[in-house]
Amino acid sequence: MTAPASTSVLPPPRKGAWLIPLARRLGAAPRPLGRVLTTTVTVFLLASLLTFALGALSEANPAAAVLGDLATPADIARMEAQFGLDRPLYAQYLSWLSHAIGGDLGVSWFTGVPVADSVAEALPVDLSIAGLALLLAVFIGGGAGIAAALNNGGRIDRTVTLICSVLATLPPFLIGIVLIVVFAVQLGALPTGGYIPIGENPGQWLRYAILPAFALSLDAAASLARQLRTSLVGALRENYVTGAQMRGFSARRVLFGHVLRNAAGPALSVLGMSVPLILGGAVVTEKIFNLPGIAQLSLQSAEQHDIPVIQGTLLVTICVVLVANIAVNAALAALNPAARRPAGTRTGAGDVTASSGEGGTR
Amino acid sequence: MRTLRRAWRLRSARIALAVLALVALLAVAGGALAPHDPLAQHPADMLQGPSGRHPFGTDYLGRDVLSRLLAGTGLSVAGAIEAVGSAMLLGIVPGIASVWLGRTVEWTAQRAADTLMIMPFTVFAIAVVGALGNGMHQAMLALGVLFAPLYFRVTRAAALGLKQAQYVEAAELMGASRRWILRTHVWSKVLPTVAVTTAQAVGQALLVVASLTFLGLGVQPPAPTWGGMLASDLGYLAQQPWAPLIPGVAIMITVGALNILADAIRDSSGGQEQASPAEAPLPALSPPAAVGSALAPVVAPKEVEDRVTTG
Repeated sequence: MTAPASTSVLPPPRKGAWLIPLARRLGAAPRPLGRVLTTTVTVFLLASLLTFALGALSEANPAAAVLGDLATPADIARMEAQFGLDRPLYAQYLSWLSHAIGGDLGVSWFTGVPVADSVAEALPVDLSIAGLALLLAVFIGGGAGIAAALNNGGRIDRTVTLICSVLATLPPFLIGIVLIVVFAVQLGALPTGGYIPIGENPGQWLRYAILPAFALSLDAAASLARQLRTSLVGALRENYVTGAQMRGFSARRVLFGHVLRNAAGPALSVLGMSVPLILGGAVVTEKIFNLPGIAQLSLQSAEQHDIPVIQGTLLVTICVVLVANIAVNAALAALNPAARRPAGTRTGAGDVTASSGEGGTR
Repeated sequence: MRTLRRAWRLRSARIALAVLALVALLAVAGGALAPHDPLAQHPADMLQGPSGRHPFGTDYLGRDVLSRLLAGTGLSVAGAIEAVGSAMLLGIVPGIASVWLGRTVEWTAQRAADTLMIMPFTVFAIAVVGALGNGMHQAMLALGVLFAPLYFRVTRAAALGLKQAQYVEAAELMGASRRWILRTHVWSKVLPTVAVTTAQAVGQALLVVASLTFLGLGVQPPAPTWGGMLASDLGYLAQQPWAPLIPGVAIMITVGALNILADAIRDSSGGQEQASPAEAPLPALSPPAAVGSALAPVVAPKEVEDRVTTG
């Protein structure tokens, strides 16, 4: 599941092919995207090293984990040999990483089930919920942000700002609990928990997924709304807006055709940053709504000190975040022409900007 | 220091500090103030509503909710502070070092920060606890490591702007030692930013600690925590739908006070406002927004850092 995704995105040529309609635009800016890919690879390697280090630092070993106090030194040695834990650490890391890139995350110490299979079973639950949450966040947050910016200083603006501030103080799972109380316990309109795969019955899936997704989306929607409001208010003051208005363009065309396009960049970055938050929040949400996802898997494996499963789930989650980041970066580059010429124009702009630009990009 | 003194003059800052002082008092002495034993079970009074004897009612084992709330303050707050403390240590030093110690340090530190920023809090904390043992210190160390990039980025951004300030250059030309410059010029300018970040980070850490204890990570079950109380309320929503609100409101008030304090310090830091990069556009924000973008260095952070240097 993981590895094909990460490997297929890594080589730059494939990247261009992947985005054929955008190829011409992106062609003008191979450098920033190339830099994103280099960063992604570095970050992936560092993250995998960290993930592996967790296992290496752990005192857990398969024999003690499975047999408990009954484990004899001979058992420990035999099982360590069986799982390859008697080799030097660098060899273990290299073989673990190369297998992981090939889609093999090892087998669970307890059940002997391949980790990749368990993850492949659990991941769609989180991905579908998180995807729905992201969609809701874009609509709710985007709508609220635009409304607040157009109403700058007015009642809607203040209401949105207030709601966003309150949301920032709430643990996201509290919202989930409140939603259960209102919609499931009091109104009885929706189930309190459980899950049906989207492939089986999309209507039923939505019934089960809407509450957790809504609970998850609010946090991201709040940060999106705040960021979008701020950049829109700034963009609306620009001269080109006055110019467009004077030329008689309708307010809608100015907003969607000109302003939003320029102001959406930072908001999109915020959305990209909320992906790890949504995935992390999904873990708690899963527990509240009793969904059979990654959280159940990793919590159970953490309880049993089942290192291969712990490492596998963490690595897969990291890959999901990285892929989402690449998508956000591609969207940013496609959206905003100015984003595609940072390096060239800024180096000439004088010492200060040049070196600060460097600092920001590396 | 001037910034902090100016912040003190704002009414909102004083109210927030008063609330936080109360929370700190409860954190230290909450167990002693509790009217009942937070662990004592009274099967006869299970799931009772508020009454004179139990102002906030009792939970599913007949334990007094008010006592559990008071006794749980300590663990929840101590956890958040431990996480943020380690994050400060792990973030500020590399943040300043990355500006002055050459490109290798800079590159390594930035890649490490990028890596940590993409880790989802709960998933990483579960993995750390699973590998290293289920204890509060393990869980909080995991959080501290993940919060470190926050400090790294804001310190670095502030220091980067200062490095090019003319008076710092002048001091360098006059032969001031690096340590003297850091102590005299840099530290006092970085401090307000660090204060703002700390207020926000403690609030955010409280939320994450609540999530983790809700999942049963970091604490053993009978010990009361705010998140743990929410978890036990979850099974009895049909009988006591209002019960989660009690720990929920406690969390909300504490985090809200911290956010207001952060805003007050930022507002009164005046010229420094621009030096705390991504904070400028957002009124009250969660750390990811405060940090600039993790892996999206193409657009946003560059603009942010430009603003830092020019502002």
